[in-house]
Amino acid sequence: MPTSTQVAVGPLAHAGSVLDGAQLMAENPYRPWEARITSITPLTENEKLFEFRLIDERIRDAFHHEPGQFVEVSIFGVGEAPISISSSPSKSGFIELCVRRMGEFTTRLHQMQCGDIVGLRGPYGRPFPFDDMRGHDVLLVAGGLGIAPLRSLINNIHDERSDFGNVTIIYGSKNPGEVMFREQFEMWRHRKDFDLYLTVDNPDDTWDGEVGLVTAPFAHLDVDARNTFGAICGPPVMYRFVVEEMRKKGIPYDRIYMSFERHMKCGMGKCGHCQVGHQYCCIDGPVFNYWEAKNIQGSM
Amino acid sequence: MLYRVIDAHELPALVQAFMCDYEVIAPVRSGKSFAFEAIDSFDDIVLDYPTTLTSLKKYYLPPRETLFEYDMVDGVTDYRMEVRPRVLFGAHACDINAINALNLVFEDPRYPDPYYEAHKKATMIVGISCMPGDSCFCHLLDAGEVRSGYDLFLADIGGRYLVSIGSVEGADILEAACDPREATDEDRRAFRDYTRRRQRAFNEDIPSVQEIPMLMDAFHSDDFWEELGSRCLNCTACSSVCPTCYCFDIRDVLDPSGKTGRRERVWDACTSPQFALVTGGHNFRPGPRERVRHRMYHKLNGFNAKHGRYLCVGCGRCVKACKADISPIEVLRFFEQKGIEDGERDAD
Repeated sequence: MPTSTQVAVGPLAHAGSVLDGAQLMAENPYRPWEARITSITPLTENEKLFEFRLIDERIRDAFHHEPGQFVEVSIFGVGEAPISISSSPSKSGFIELCVRRMGEFTTRLHQMQCGDIVGLRGPYGRPFPFDDMRGHDVLLVAGGLGIAPLRSLINNIHDERSDFGNVTIIYGSKNPGEVMFREQFEMWRHRKDFDLYLTVDNPDDTWDGEVGLVTAPFAHLDVDARNTFGAICGPPVMYRFVVEEMRKKGIPYDRIYMSFERHMKCGMGKCGHCQVGHQYCCIDGPVFNYWEAKNIQGSM
Repeated sequence: MLYRVIDAHELPALVQAFMCDYEVIAPVRSGKSFAFEAIDSFDDIVLDYPTTLTSLKKYYLPPRETLFEYDMVDGVTDYRMEVRPRVLFGAHACDINAINALNLVFEDPRYPDPYYEAHKKATMIVGISCMPGDSCFCHLLDAGEVRSGYDLFLADIGGRYLVSIGSVEGADILEAACDPREATDEDRRAFRDYTRRRQRAFNEDIPSVQEIPMLMDAFHSDDFWEELGSRCLNCTACSSVCPTCYCFDIRDVLDPSGKTGRRERVWDACTSPQFALVTGGHNFRPGPRERVRHRMYHKLNGFNAKHGRYLCVGCGRCVKACKADISPIEVLRFFEQKGIEDGERDAD
């Protein structure tokens, strides 16, 4: 009678041989790699910026992300969650994630301290076309937590600023208390090389920025449509209105990029949770251009 | 494709040969229906079964599977999974086609799935010809015949089998256990006779529809989906019995000590109400209309866009499993009806 045999899954399958970080990760793509929390910065009442450092040097060296990609974060015993990377690839060795406290997983993450260990796997997903954007103007529009993935792109552009034309950032929040990275952006308001519009729906006494929806600043934007890339990230309801404004300015369908929010459980185009129409947000997205998005049933 | 002929009385010896080195899974009687189960003897096998209740996917993608174990202090402890050398004996063409479709997802070169691959590597398939039942429509979705993905495929040509040989391992066992011979003209005519009889045996009440993927796009906003969705009971039986539904959830299970645990994947279904829910409460497919439509859309359009084939093999299991009569057949009937309505209107 045949008996079952044991098959090692993951790096164990190659015990004794020397694998580099990329090979280790590929051996079992479901295996998270340990990372230490190296810094926690409160951003608002409900959002914190976590900085992580992968512990295994081989994995750390092999981990390269691009703006718009995400990682699967593990808290053992709780589970896994897909979170977009907020830091620029130019900040190597560290990974920053901006996390809003919402469900069980994020609440547990918010309770963690510097030095605590989580698991990370990734990066996953199709990024913003950073290299295609070089030499062009870029118009970035973020709503609420949508600033988290866009910050990776913004900071990357910042670090290679001379490669880009005019850079305009519109960042809308509901209330002044919900504006993230406010210090960074307050400083940038006076810079000549970024056109920054911070808007809130409901201003208070401390607010001296714009008031109104994230689409309001478009009224006085001068866009060189043939030379501009758009990048959008925000709550689902925001996309249609921002895309409409960008189209009115004449930005081509395939130069308007947007990042979709879905619950990517596996990150590898299998589990099905992040499916939108015929596409998987995790491998075909999360960044799609508007032409692709128009061709996805039920996307917008 | 290489093929040989064996006599029907040689079949027990073939199964016996497999049983020496493999667990043999085969169709057996299960109550009023049939199921794939491990067998102890050739006599347990029902060769002319219509369709089993559940499919073969569980041997590649178990309903619940541990991905790895962990220690709350030391993190991931690398994991050894159990695989059992198996032969899936008596699989129909539709079910082999279903596994071929799953292969496209789990062997995607970007992210090959090590668990699926380990199961697949340990599994052989011996297919067998069939006559369609009332709810079979494999022929309408290009899944009625299969040309790859098996080790042996046995076509019943009356007292003997025309055997397509798909692998070296299959050939070796066939030659060791039986006395395969070259096919004669008579064998070939018998095979053609079988294909004609089978072709004619399909239920003609299930309409053959052209351009299904385009129709899925064109009627995406039709009220039909509201009506179909309103009947859905969210029971997800359709996905459980479906040989090609592969969606899963990933979850952590902590041991009672709280010190160790495991991460596992379990079957999930896009017809489950929480499936497209994201943290924060937004549900991208909030109602049964969107969920039922998405499931059909993925099977009859979305998968085609990615892989050039349907993700439905027309096995008819969901037709029987759904208590609300929701199935791809209903979608085909809707398209057929639309065509007739338009035809009638044009005639007026």
